[in-house]
Amino acid sequence: MNEDPYSVLGVKKDASQDDIQKAYRKLAKKLHPDLNPGNKKAEEQFKAVSAAYDLLSEPEKRARFDRGEIDASGQERPRQRYYRDFAGGAAGHHPYTSSEGFSDFSDEGDLFSSLFGRGGRMNLKMRGQDVHYRLPIAFLEAVNGTTRRVTLSDGSPVDVAVPPGARDGQVLRLAGKGGAGIGGGPPGDAFIEIIINPHPLFTRKGDDIYLELPVSLTEAVLGGKISVPTPTGTVSMNVPKGSNTGTVLRLRGKGVPRSNGTRGDQYVKLRVVLPDKPDPDLEKFVQSWAAGKAHDPRRGMEA
Amino acid sequence: MLDIHEFVLRMRLAQDVIEAWVAEGWLRPQRSDQGLAFTEMDISRAQLIRDLREDLGVNEEGIAIILDLIDQMHGLRKTLRELCEAVGIQPADLQQRILADMRSRRPIPMKGPEAP
Repeated sequence: MNEDPYSVLGVKKDASQDDIQKAYRKLAKKLHPDLNPGNKKAEEQFKAVSAAYDLLSEPEKRARFDRGEIDASGQERPRQRYYRDFAGGAAGHHPYTSSEGFSDFSDEGDLFSSLFGRGGRMNLKMRGQDVHYRLPIAFLEAVNGTTRRVTLSDGSPVDVAVPPGARDGQVLRLAGKGGAGIGGGPPGDAFIEIIINPHPLFTRKGDDIYLELPVSLTEAVLGGKISVPTPTGTVSMNVPKGSNTGTVLRLRGKGVPRSNGTRGDQYVKLRVVLPDKPDPDLEKFVQSWAAGKAHDPRRGMEA
Repeated sequence: MLDIHEFVLRMRLAQDVIEAWVAEGWLRPQRSDQGLAFTEMDISRAQLIRDLREDLGVNEEGIAIILDLIDQMHGLRKTLRELCEAVGIQPADLQQRILADMRSRRPIPMKGPEAP
């Protein structure tokens, strides 16, 4: 060690003993090999810092160095092996062994705790791994329930019963269908996440179904019975006289089945549509319809 | 193995200091009919405690916390090393799958100015 001990510690030549100790502690806290078990460079740096401190921490030695009577070499403390060399060695169990750093990992599944937990290496008996799948299904399959045959990662087929009213992201558990156990341990479970594909007509909010339904001008003005698609088939619905675009009608109990046996509702939002082609009779009628010219649907919208 | 007298001589510390560290659980020597028996590992650990106390200015409470964290860290490092070794002997495609899965768990860093 031939470097100037003052520059090693980063202090000035006239630094007080107090400043030298502070500078040393600051560096030592960062560089002590036992606080840096994975850092080989820290040990070299720590040695240099310690040697510099050894020299400068004793006022007598420091004064002799300042007068040039001794040089900075040969001051290294012969250092024993660090604690990390024992604790980090290949040796198995020692009195200071701690598995507290991952004792909570057992919540995530038994893999970690059985592999690395206290004393867990003896005659390893391990539950199989849980396996996760994603199963995309059609909108109506989710509403009405379905049974799907899927192939697991080990190649075996299994029937997955999707309950009526399944939600997007819902996870079904197939007990014992995960990875095989080790050493006579039980198998893990298979977890199947349901992914619901969108439907061209229906949308779903919770247990309710929403549908936008076109109605003719005649049906809207005069009212009447019309057919409405629902997830369980077509039903007949009464459109009240004078219905408008945006009118929402409720079909009670035509929504998504709940686990308690009841069902949500279906909401039907009407949209009044004119005939595809211009109709001369309709034009003639609207021409002669005086109230239509007085009706201003944009009243109050002036910006 | 060293008995407490040899240990005291090696460490150049008073016997009651060593006994206090044992009582605190900072040192865990083996106990035999002849009394306490210390290993080389106990010596290095005692030197660490001395470093913390004398050179780094750590107080009693701080030493207990640091020792506990160091023990946890060595447990984690050992486990991580075992896991790396176990993964290292698996087929190459399995290793790649494990690495890819680990990478996919890391959050994607956001671009843009750092928050102050």
